[in-house]
Amino acid sequence: MVSWQRGLWLFFVPSFGLLAVVLLWPLGYAIYLSFFDYFLGTGTRTFIGLGNYIELLSEARLWRSMWTTIIIAFGSVALEFAVGFALALALYRLNSSAKVFSVLLFLPHIVTPVVAALFLKWMLAANWGLVDATLLTFDITPPDWLGDPLWAKVSVILADAWIFTPLIMMVLYAALQGLDASLIEAAQIDGASNWRILRHVIIPALIPAIIFTISVRLMDVFRFFDLIYVLTGGGPGTATETITMYTYQLGFRMLEVGKASALGVITLVIVAALLLSINRALNSIYRGGDR
Amino acid sequence: MSAADAPNRRRRDTWLIFIALSVFTVINLMPLIWAVLTSLKDPRDAFTIPPTIIFEPTLEYHRQVWFENDFFVYLKNSLIVSAGTVLISVPFGSLAAYALSRIPRRSAGPILSALFTIRMFPHMLLAIPFFVMGTFLNLIDSYILLILALVAINQPFTIWLMHGFFLDIPRDLDEAAAIDGCTSWQAFRIVILPLARPGMTVAALFSLLLSYNEFLFALVLTGTSTKTLPVAIASFGGEDISSWSLSAAGAIGIMLPIVVVMLLLQRYLVRGLTAGAVKG
Amino acid sequence: MAPLTIRQATKSFGAVQVLHGIDIDIQDGEFVVLVGPSGCGKSTLLRLIAGLEDITTGDILIDGKVVSRLHPKDRDIAMVFQSYALYPHMSVGENMGFSLRMRDVSQAERERKVAAAAEILGLTPLLDRYPRQLSGGQRQRVAMGRAIVRDPKVFLFDEPLSNLDAKLRVQMRAEIRSLHKKLKTTIVYVTHDQIEAMTMADKIVVLRDGHVEQIGSPLELYDAPANAFVAEFIGSPSMNMLEGRVGEKGQSFITAKGVELPLEAPPPLEPGRNAIMGLRPEDIRLGAHGAPARILLIEPTGADIHVNLDLNGDQLTAVFHDRLELTEGESVGVAIPADVVHFFDVETGERISS
Repeated sequence: MVSWQRGLWLFFVPSFGLLAVVLLWPLGYAIYLSFFDYFLGTGTRTFIGLGNYIELLSEARLWRSMWTTIIIAFGSVALEFAVGFALALALYRLNSSAKVFSVLLFLPHIVTPVVAALFLKWMLAANWGLVDATLLTFDITPPDWLGDPLWAKVSVILADAWIFTPLIMMVLYAALQGLDASLIEAAQIDGASNWRILRHVIIPALIPAIIFTISVRLMDVFRFFDLIYVLTGGGPGTATETITMYTYQLGFRMLEVGKASALGVITLVIVAALLLSINRALNSIYRGGDR
Repeated sequence: MSAADAPNRRRRDTWLIFIALSVFTVINLMPLIWAVLTSLKDPRDAFTIPPTIIFEPTLEYHRQVWFENDFFVYLKNSLIVSAGTVLISVPFGSLAAYALSRIPRRSAGPILSALFTIRMFPHMLLAIPFFVMGTFLNLIDSYILLILALVAINQPFTIWLMHGFFLDIPRDLDEAAAIDGCTSWQAFRIVILPLARPGMTVAALFSLLLSYNEFLFALVLTGTSTKTLPVAIASFGGEDISSWSLSAAGAIGIMLPIVVVMLLLQRYLVRGLTAGAVKG
Repeated sequence: MAPLTIRQATKSFGAVQVLHGIDIDIQDGEFVVLVGPSGCGKSTLLRLIAGLEDITTGDILIDGKVVSRLHPKDRDIAMVFQSYALYPHMSVGENMGFSLRMRDVSQAERERKVAAAAEILGLTPLLDRYPRQLSGGQRQRVAMGRAIVRDPKVFLFDEPLSNLDAKLRVQMRAEIRSLHKKLKTTIVYVTHDQIEAMTMADKIVVLRDGHVEQIGSPLELYDAPANAFVAEFIGSPSMNMLEGRVGEKGQSFITAKGVELPLEAPPPLEPGRNAIMGLRPEDIRLGAHGAPARILLIEPTGADIHVNLDLNGDQLTAVFHDRLELTEGESVGVAIPADVVHFFDVETGERISS
């Protein structure tokens, strides 16, 4: 660093000092706690080394919640990405009236997630929810959207998609607008079909934005909480209990904070591994299209 | 396809897209519309098959939720927490982001990656130690603990976002300021900061949204006296169908300020969402 | 106003050394232009003087005082940036007065100095405008105004005219020159444009790959370039360079392609020696006699005619002020008058002087 700018290091002090206190220290503390059998109710704390990890990894409930998380994560991200990309392309194509649509379509994302979850609950609630009420009008017997183990998962995926599809749409739409339109025109003049233009011109140019959205969404989905908490509370039974939900139950319901911390650490490791492999895979497909 | 057909076909396609998009938008907004209608309905209109579209609207439940159910207190709590988060996160984040944009790339790169990595920490992993420490320090149900937790999850993003804005401000200006007699601090305060105002607006907007909407930390770190709006509405009779109208009114009330802010600041919002995605 | 001395200055960015032991002495009030192709290190050298980059080894002295380790603000210099670097949120007047404000000059004094500088540069009616409301030339002037209000010891200019159109550039060139006459402040001016260097400088420093190639007045550089690089760099169109050897009788130069050019004066080197002969385009004469050449291309610029000649495989450019009756493809004789040729060593490119 050039000497006249040496004072700039001081600019980091407030922020990084704060982060050390409110982020790194708690994080270290959580890792520390994960080696203890620690029930917050009585305050008894015994060091058990990797005991929590061993116990957790041999538990059926953990693996079930892991599967639930994976199904919900990939299901919702896939749905969000497909719909979001289609919407972005439609907006890009419309041009003039796109502005109104983009505002209206973006609304669900801006709503407080808890509130959005309530909105969806009122849609899907048995009998009196809008969906059931409508279907019953036509004498169709609806499934139990939130009470059936399978449908509850579907409902959670749909709900997540309702909230986050707009985000993906918006990011991809912005990326599309940043595209060099002459590329597409040149391809049109060359007589390329719409599908080929999409496949060979648009998608490669959007790779950085696509990697970004998918990565960010995947890490969000691994920690989303509000939605399931409000919509199903993890139920019925543990049908929609994700890792996050399970951690919450352990830590804040059963007050087993040591075990909950261990589960948090496990989640962190999974998310990190997942992100790394996604980035690597996508990057290798498009040979570092991300720059 | 002859040459003359092409524009016609294109116009027809555009219309099809327009119609499809309109239908999708209406369906997509249904939960929201339904909630608004529910909040204006008397229970006798709310529970009918088929669902009623035409009914006599009433603002009674909006009145009740605010004036008989402490929502003003929760709103006050939400505003205090949000303001506290913004006032800590944005200035601190701006300082770091500015320095980050001015140090050599090879030093800035690892810091940026580290910040990006921190963003992916599961919040639950942070909530546990905050809860345990808060219990020991007797800080549960205090504003400061929640504010600090929100700053912790918000700060990396704020730095990341502001970094992009500072990069757009030419370094020549820093150099001109240095030659004109400014220390680093003076150059930042007098020359750079006024130019970074749009960026700070975006960062503040996002911090505000995050802290206003945040649920997990608010749920585990607040109590009766600091409960924020999302925690309040989540515990507010969502189960009991007889109170649907009332909780719908509350939910709409929570949503409205955000919608207004969003409509006013829409262009900033897009800029913030796409920061990091479209470039760098 | 002060002399400026650069002593054995080197600069490395990591493992890459961009300046190798630069020595320059600049007199008080001198207008010095650093010129060279892009990547030669001229801007880096200017930034070392300004203190925007750290010097690796060596020293910089302003007014006899070592400033090498000082913060830019403590060196008493002013700089005009290529991008102008005007503060977008400050009016013209505030931009110009900013350095005074940072030095705690009183409001009244500041206004007086800004007004005086604005007067000199014709900016008085623009003082309340903002940079975005100004044209390129006006911004350029504000950038200079910001530099002169302070009355610093040294002015530094970093390619200040490169963002202007050609006509404005010529005009600003003259303005900067006359400003220098008025203020008599030491100026270090960086440009890649040798015409700017020639027209403005008291002294030119030619740089290449981080080395000083030659220091001298414009005409010294033109008349007696120290090496082939300077010879080719200074002058437009650039000097013709012919490889070959001196004729056995010492009265001619035989090009590598086998053409014998008669010389009117004997060259200052022994017959038969290999050398590069440099020949300015305007020194070539055409006539019935001389070495046979073919006219490839005629480019009239209005004032001059540029003629590209083929000399048995070597290309020559010649410039004439007279409107000669020439046609492309025609064969002519090339003659070289006395005392206008330059010789350079084939290996080192150094000038071979008599």
